[in-house]
Amino acid sequence: MVDIYLVGVGGQGIITASRIIGDAAILSGRNVLLSETHGMAQRGGSVVCTARIGDVHSPLIPDGRADVILSFELLETLRALPRASMKTLVVSSTERIVPLSVSTKKLRYPSIEEITAHVERAAKSFLPIDAAKIAAESGVPMSSNIVMVGALAGTGMTGLQKGEFEKAIEMSIPRKLPENKTAFARGYEITDRAL
Amino acid sequence: MDRVLDTPAGSKVLLLGNEAIARGALEAGVAVATTYPGTPASEIGDALARVAKDAGIYFEYSTNEMVAAEFAMGAAASGVRAMVSMKHVGLNVAADALMTFAYTGTRGGFVLVTADDPSCHSSQNEQDNRYYALLGGIPLLEPSNPQECYEMTKEAFEISERLELPVIVRTTTRISHVRGPVTVDRIVEGVKKKEFVKDPARFVTVPAVARVRHKVLLDRLREAEELSEESTLNRTERLGTGGSVGIITSSAAFNYAMDAAVELGLSADILKLGFSHPAPKNKISQFVRDHERIVIVEELEPILENTVRAIAQHSSLQAKVIGKADDAFPRLHEFDQAIVARGLRAALSMASEAVEETPTELQELPERPPVLCAGCPHSATYFAVNKATNKKALFASDIGCYTLGMSPPYSAADFLVCMGSSVGSAGGLAKVNDKPVIAFIGDSTFFHAGIPGLINAVHNGHRFLLMILDNRTTAMTGHQPHPGSDKGPTCCDITAVSIENVVKGCGVKWLKVVDPYDVKTTVEAVKEALEQPEVSVIIARRECALIAARDAKGAITKKHYIDQEACKKCRTCVDKFQCPAISSIDKVQTIDEALCAGCGVCAQVCPYKAIKEVE
Repeated sequence: MVDIYLVGVGGQGIITASRIIGDAAILSGRNVLLSETHGMAQRGGSVVCTARIGDVHSPLIPDGRADVILSFELLETLRALPRASMKTLVVSSTERIVPLSVSTKKLRYPSIEEITAHVERAAKSFLPIDAAKIAAESGVPMSSNIVMVGALAGTGMTGLQKGEFEKAIEMSIPRKLPENKTAFARGYEITDRAL
Repeated sequence: MDRVLDTPAGSKVLLLGNEAIARGALEAGVAVATTYPGTPASEIGDALARVAKDAGIYFEYSTNEMVAAEFAMGAAASGVRAMVSMKHVGLNVAADALMTFAYTGTRGGFVLVTADDPSCHSSQNEQDNRYYALLGGIPLLEPSNPQECYEMTKEAFEISERLELPVIVRTTTRISHVRGPVTVDRIVEGVKKKEFVKDPARFVTVPAVARVRHKVLLDRLREAEELSEESTLNRTERLGTGGSVGIITSSAAFNYAMDAAVELGLSADILKLGFSHPAPKNKISQFVRDHERIVIVEELEPILENTVRAIAQHSSLQAKVIGKADDAFPRLHEFDQAIVARGLRAALSMASEAVEETPTELQELPERPPVLCAGCPHSATYFAVNKATNKKALFASDIGCYTLGMSPPYSAADFLVCMGSSVGSAGGLAKVNDKPVIAFIGDSTFFHAGIPGLINAVHNGHRFLLMILDNRTTAMTGHQPHPGSDKGPTCCDITAVSIENVVKGCGVKWLKVVDPYDVKTTVEAVKEALEQPEVSVIIARRECALIAARDAKGAITKKHYIDQEACKKCRTCVDKFQCPAISSIDKVQTIDEALCAGCGVCAQVCPYKAIKEVE
């Protein structure tokens, strides 16, 4: 069984990313459950989705039980750490979306060094990825989420095949499919090579 | 290709619980489906709106849940199959109709879907709508996952027609908003038209009829109980070798119980109740007899627990029943695997889990609550109201994106309980307070539940300002249309109802329509409105920024920037106004051009004219 904890900010395409994981799991003949955030929380707030692949009944991932944390935003990576253990792989976009509380309450957005130190203390390993840059280079700046799906696939942690992810992307992405496939492949290469 | 409509029989497809309900209804041959959108139920209606035309069914977004339910009742009483879906608190609105519809019963299958929200992810309370089944005498089905959402919706129509009773299908957020595999069957075209056969002694519930029909309902419930006894939706699962421990559970709690029992290596039998009201008394009684200890695992209220205790008492059974009364499980908020594992340990006197040390203390992270979007017209309205009143007013708020105005810097909400409560409560606030009172209500919410409050204010002479925040859509739940919209789902022809005409028709004498992007005019209108001797109304009209951006396809030209030379670092743009595109880091305020929606309100907010349009 594999537990993937997806976090980010409303509007980053996290539901689409989790749905691609779900479709890929079904294509491989595995059981899968996803939980999603809809409604009020989506308005620029912290968003959490879960994907559990395997023989499981409940969709939520308890504290310390995530096998992979797939984060779309650095501050949200920190917020997700209670779900990590020393067995957890953290794959995070290096994108920073500064929340309004930083401006209004004069709080500080932690530095990349602090974030790295925290993640490395709480999890097995940390793979930061410049998903926004890769997405822009792939020709669709909005495809950061697909880069992250590629990065997840490249870790090999899901037990799903690359082809199953690609087919799932075809099912969910109606426009600019070749560019999105490039975004996926670039994300895949990074983690495939790193691990 | 649409997954809900076009997935062929026999295939396995990934569906949201809500989409699975829509597919189930289509396979059951539903003819009429209605809803008022509300999280976590919205995607049932959205899925049906998408496919209604191709599927040849009638679908509508109704004005509110009561109208939606009554519409479906009219169709079902005639003999076609009808479904109405809503969030849990929507059923409070529809309850008046439902309680008596249980007396008349139905000819065509009638299914009401209620989606509850334990933990209040997107709601003002976490009421347990299983009580409505008990209150009304209505059969209740509780799916646990998308496959069951699909199957039980179909089954609900069968049960409804067999008993001639309405049937409730009750989900929760972690069922409606879970995506999982669903193996589907064939979509069946149902009967679309049926002549209503007159039978006033059944369908016109004057007292003489109601007294007779109440007995009919109780008789039917006895039949329902027999169905529940035989139903495969109430089934037993054995974990390990079974043994002396029995777990009784339903809904999302079943999922957590299964995973937690496996985690703990429990040998136990699990009685899963999918058809939970009327409860299968004999089945439960036998299950209790067969086990020494019975643990009840259910979210929110101890409804199964009390049912099981009553059955055990009535059958003089000695088994120990353990649940919320023993503090093994909380009555608050949604469960997860860890909460249920802890509860099972407590219930079964197992050693508690070794507490693992948390690796590092995290510093307090800057929180990221949901906020009004860049370019949101509500932001502009709240800034103007605060400017006009100097924050010396009481604010009665309502349900929608604009409720987010409760947070600083606007602090524009002092009272809120339900849809439409802004208008009614504003009268009471104004009667006993000397401060000016302003009620805020969205366009969709105004049609839903605001109009009776406005009529009351005119008729009884209450003095407050009602601001109707008209962004031309039901934004929070996913931009569904409402009676004021001129664009509906693709399936239906609709007529836009004018908010101005409704307001004038209610007898309001002072009405102004403003564009909230024009801050100065809005401030003046608020000041003038508050001087009126009776209820006054301002319609602040500007399309939702997300829709405007979508329709403009990114062609926004009025992006703004902060001229750092002109900026006096007064922080007005972050302390009195709020926009996700404006940030203040290390005492420097800047606008993120990528996020800027080009509304230009910040340029009017800045006292030093330091915010300028990008050339």
